Parts: sequence; C-alpha cells; structure tokens
Amino acid sequence: MSTHPTPTDENKHPALSGAKLLLDSLKVQGVDVIFGYPGGAIMPVYDALVGSGIKHILSRHEQGSAIAAIGYARATGRVGTCLATSGPGATNLVTGIADAYLDSVPLVAITGQVPSDLMGTDAFQEVDIFGITLPIVKHSYIVRDPADIPGLIEEAYYIASEGRPGPVLIDFPKDVANAITTERHRWRPYPKVKPEMGTAKNLAAAEELIRSAKKPLFYIGGGIAQGDGVHELRALVERTQIPVVSTLKGLGALPSDHPNFLGMLGMHGLKAANYAVQEADVLIVAGARFDDRATGKLDTFAPHAKIIHMDIDVAEINKLRKANIGIDGSLKKNLAALNPGKLDIQDWQDLCLGRRDQYEWDYDTPVKNIKSEGVYAPKLLHDLTRHAPENAIITCDVGQHQMWVAQHCYFDDPKDHITSGGLGTMGFGIPAGLGAQLACPDRTVITVTGDGSIMMNIQELATLNRYKIPLKIVLLDNGALGMVRQWQEVFFEENYSEVHLYDNPDFAVLARAFQIDAFTVTKGSEVTAGIEKLLAHKGPILMHVKIDQAENVWPLVPPGRSNADMMER
Amino acid sequence: MSTLQADKTFERSGVSGKLKVVLHDVSGTLLRTLGTIERRGYDYRDVHCTQRVDGDFDLLVQIEDLGGPRNLDTLCKQLERLYNVVSAEKVGRRKHAERA
Repeated sequence: MSTHPTPTDENKHPALSGAKLLLDSLKVQGVDVIFGYPGGAIMPVYDALVGSGIKHILSRHEQGSAIAAIGYARATGRVGTCLATSGPGATNLVTGIADAYLDSVPLVAITGQVPSDLMGTDAFQEVDIFGITLPIVKHSYIVRDPADIPGLIEEAYYIASEGRPGPVLIDFPKDVANAITTERHRWRPYPKVKPEMGTAKNLAAAEELIRSAKKPLFYIGGGIAQGDGVHELRALVERTQIPVVSTLKGLGALPSDHPNFLGMLGMHGLKAANYAVQEADVLIVAGARFDDRATGKLDTFAPHAKIIHMDIDVAEINKLRKANIGIDGSLKKNLAALNPGKLDIQDWQDLCLGRRDQYEWDYDTPVKNIKSEGVYAPKLLHDLTRHAPENAIITCDVGQHQMWVAQHCYFDDPKDHITSGGLGTMGFGIPAGLGAQLACPDRTVITVTGDGSIMMNIQELATLNRYKIPLKIVLLDNGALGMVRQWQEVFFEENYSEVHLYDNPDFAVLARAFQIDAFTVTKGSEVTAGIEKLLAHKGPILMHVKIDQAENVWPLVPPGRSNADMMER
Repeated sequence: MSTLQADKTFERSGVSGKLKVVLHDVSGTLLRTLGTIERRGYDYRDVHCTQRVDGDFDLLVQIEDLGGPRNLDTLCKQLERLYNVVSAEKVGRRKHAERA
C-alpha cells in the first residue's frame, strides 16, 4: 500500500531540516517538555533541540523517559512526549508505550530510525519498532518525507488525545531528519466522525431503568477523569444519592470520604463495595471496562443487575458483559444529561452505607504478624495522605503497596492518583512521579514504592538529582516481592520461589550515592516524625521504611472466583 | 485439576464468520487490521484483499474464534476504531459449530 496521500502545498516555505520541522511542529502542538535519551539515529533531532525552546529531561533509561511522559500526561491531561534513538532505545520505550495503551494515556513516542535505504537490512541498531508496537499503539507512523512532518505531527497529537486517549508512535529515519525541504504537504483531514453523546432514546431508557431500580449502583472507572466528567458525576450522585464503587483508576472521582462512596471493588476491593455489586439490580457503568481484576469471575459479577454502560469507546460496550443499555460518546455530556429524578432507595442506601461503616478499616487493633514496635504500612499510608497537602499527587509502583495505596490513601481528584492499572508496570512509580512533579511544580508529589519495584528504575534517582526535582519517595521495604510471596503463601502452599530479596542494597545509602537525602524508619513510633520530615524537605528525599514481610493485602478474591468470595486475614 | 488450572482450560467456542473490512490505502493499515483480528482472539481461515476503483481496499476475512467471551460485533467495533479503517461489518450468516 502507498503512504498517506499528501498533495504538495504549492507555496514555498523556509528551507528546514526534518529535525527542525519536527521540533517546530511539536511547539505548534504546545509541547514544552520532552523526556528522552539520545543516541545515533536520533542525533539530528538532538542537534536541533539546542536552542529550540523545548525543555528536554534526560532520563537514565528510555523506559524512564516513557513513564515520566505518562506521569506528565496523567497529572495534566495533556499529551506526554518521549524521545529515543533506534534499536535498543526504541525497544526500551515499549513497556511505557504498552502501559499508556492499557491505561488510555495520551502519549507520543518518537523514535530515531536508521536511514531509509538501510531499513530492512538488519543495520546497526535497527529494529522494526513500527511492527513491534503495532498491538500496543492507537496509531503509528514511519516518516517518509520531511514535508509530511507538520501535518503528521498535528494528526498524531490529535489522535493521541481525542476520544479514548492512547499512545502514538512516530518512527523517524535519520535521512528524513537530515533532509532539507521547502515543501509542506497538506495533510488529509482526520476523517472519522464519532457521536458526541448517546441518543436521546437510550438516555431516556437509562433514566427509566434507574427509576425502576431498588438497588442502583454506580461502577466508575478511569474514563471519568479522562473524559473530564468528575464534576458531572458528582452532580449526578448528589441528584440521585446512588451509592458508588470505583475501579483502581476511578479512585478520586468521588472524594474518598464522600457519603455515597463505598470504595474500590474487585480483587482487593472493600467488602462493602463488592457486596453492593453482588446485590445491585441496576449497575450504571461509567468509564469502566469490566476488567478481570475488578469483576472476578465474570459470570458471577453483579448477577442480579441490569447494565447501563456509558463509555467514550463504543468497542467497550458489550465486549465482556452484555449491556441492557449502551450509551457511547462523551461521559461528561452523557452524565450531565442523565437525570432520572428523585429515587426511592433509602433502604438500599442504608444497607450500603451501614456496611461501609461496619467494614471500615481498623488501624488500631493489633495486627497479626506485626511486632508491637513495627510499622504497619496501611496505617502509615493512611496517615501520609492526611498529613500531605490536599492537592498532593501520589504515584506508586506495583505490588502490595499499590493496593494499600488504593485502599488507605485519601484522594479527592482522580488525577491525584497515578498508578499503573492495566499493565501493572513495576518501576512505574519514580519516573511517573518525576513527570508529574515537573508538570505540577507547585504541588507535593509523593511516590510510594516497594523494594522490588524501586530497583526496576532506580537509575531515575540520578534524574531527580540532576534537575533537583523535589519528589518525596516512600519505600516500603519488606525484603520480598510481596504480592508474589503472598500468592505463594495463599495459593501455592507456602512454596516460596524466588521472592525473597535478602540481598537488597541499603536503600538509604544508595539514595545518598545519587545525592538524594534519605533516612530509614523501622518503628511505628517513628512514622509520624518521618512523614513530617519527608513532607517538610525542600528537595528530593527518600524515606526507607522497613515493614514485616508477613503482612498481606486483604481482602483478597482468589483468581477465577466471585467477588463475593473474599478471603480475609 | 485445581480451580486455578481449570480456569485456564482452553476451549474453542467455534464461532466463525466472514468480515468485510474497507481500508484506506495507507502504509501499515493491512498489517494493523490483520494483527488486530488475531490479537483479539480469532484465527484466519481465508483472506482476500482487492483494490476498489476509489483506491480503498476491500478485505474479506473468514475467521474462527479461539474461545472466551468474544463476539464479532465487538471485533467489528475494534476494527473500526483503527485509523484508516473505513468500516468493518459481518457478511453472510454466522455459523455456530456443533459441540460434542
């Protein structure tokens, strides 16, 4: 097949290299910061970068660049941009691109490529990154002609952010970057037209179904934040008083202490939330996708409920659970339009909210396996966000601490909680925090990580130091790959296999080697002072917290089981 | 067999069908389309691609699913989500294979 049809603009333009055109085009899109790492095939772009006016953040590994761009994008709602060279530089971006794909993050990844005449010859540092990333991008390009660049970049940023956001890859051969052109091709306007909101008929049917419900329930997800629907959701909940459960990525769409909020559902969800789903007769699903971590065994999920599914992506409706009413289009507009009127659900509300109170976390009862003087991580996290400024951003890594953050931290805006939900990328926390802090320099940004995860992108401590990025890092160190250890304990008869990290480095010493201030907390009595010290510190800092390896995440729904089958401590 | 293992048991549901996908003539679109069909859990049985007078391509694909909660309507929507895919639709009647 041919390339994108691009009739030549007959007007002559200044003679510019492809690299310079790329940077100029990025500036037109409002790009003010790029996260990247140079190398052979991308050198023309780095040459043009000097004096371009675009800030470049040099990570110490391309995966750090990609995830930092994700952190930037998720904190701001704008498109994040990362840059790498060909071959290993490009493949090191892949995890970040996949993360952005599964969490619907607007990201543009630009990779250098060997010159066009060498493509396909197994040249030095040549990989087919276009082919490698096909299943994990929303769209991708190989730039064939420098005159295409302005139109291509405009389209790439549009695609990354429109509708359901996602990553776009631009592979940029070195000869195209070096080529000088006076031409600018006209780019074909993006042809797809999508509905702005659901049909009046479907909205009316949804209102009627909600009115008829005795036990209606909202099941919300990350689409609320990405669709800018937080205000509309809150208003709808106020109007109807319907209880709400949330996915991991929906946390913060309602404040954690909102009177109608029952908590996170799913594998490590709160009991009140999971029980509500199992008993609901109408489930209003907004910006969520019936992910297996949320639903447990799918055919036992919400067994009595009729489904109203609202999503910007029509392909999500009926994908896993047949919807009685599907409403595609903008969540913001659809939530604003949905007005079922006053509902008679007092008994249901009382049941749900009574359960929420009944199963509220108890941080004071002595915890099994925790020595009396030890640190109880859930209580630490609970206290952390209550001490932190209200608009603090929390990023985290993946594992037990990630679930504790979701369960015990306070959020009142979904953009305040940046976690790798779909891909579950260990090593996500620090670079994501770095990107979020750069995007929001006036806010407190805290990364909660584990001793397994931190080692996967520990090199980004150098980036924090280089740019004096005042990220606050809380490292919960149980000397193990905690979540895997927990599963081996619970599901594999305590047959522990390669989960003990007895040979971890001294993390405080390691941080100081990167010129990052650090201190260690080993006792529960030291936690409050530690949190205060962490938050008062002006620059980047690491609080290394030793916790008990035997402490697990509860509740836990075993894989393949109903959410009603929650295991407890 | 434990519960965990039982959940992974692989069983074809035997849903088959033919899709007609219209593609713009743009690099990578054919690969992206066929890749999406396979990644979403379907095997090809037959593939035909011909260029139309307007320059777009008609892609006819006979597919069979690999089991799990899949349906062709969702696959069509997933294909239409791709850039430079103009449309995707089922053609002919869907056949359900008999199970033993």
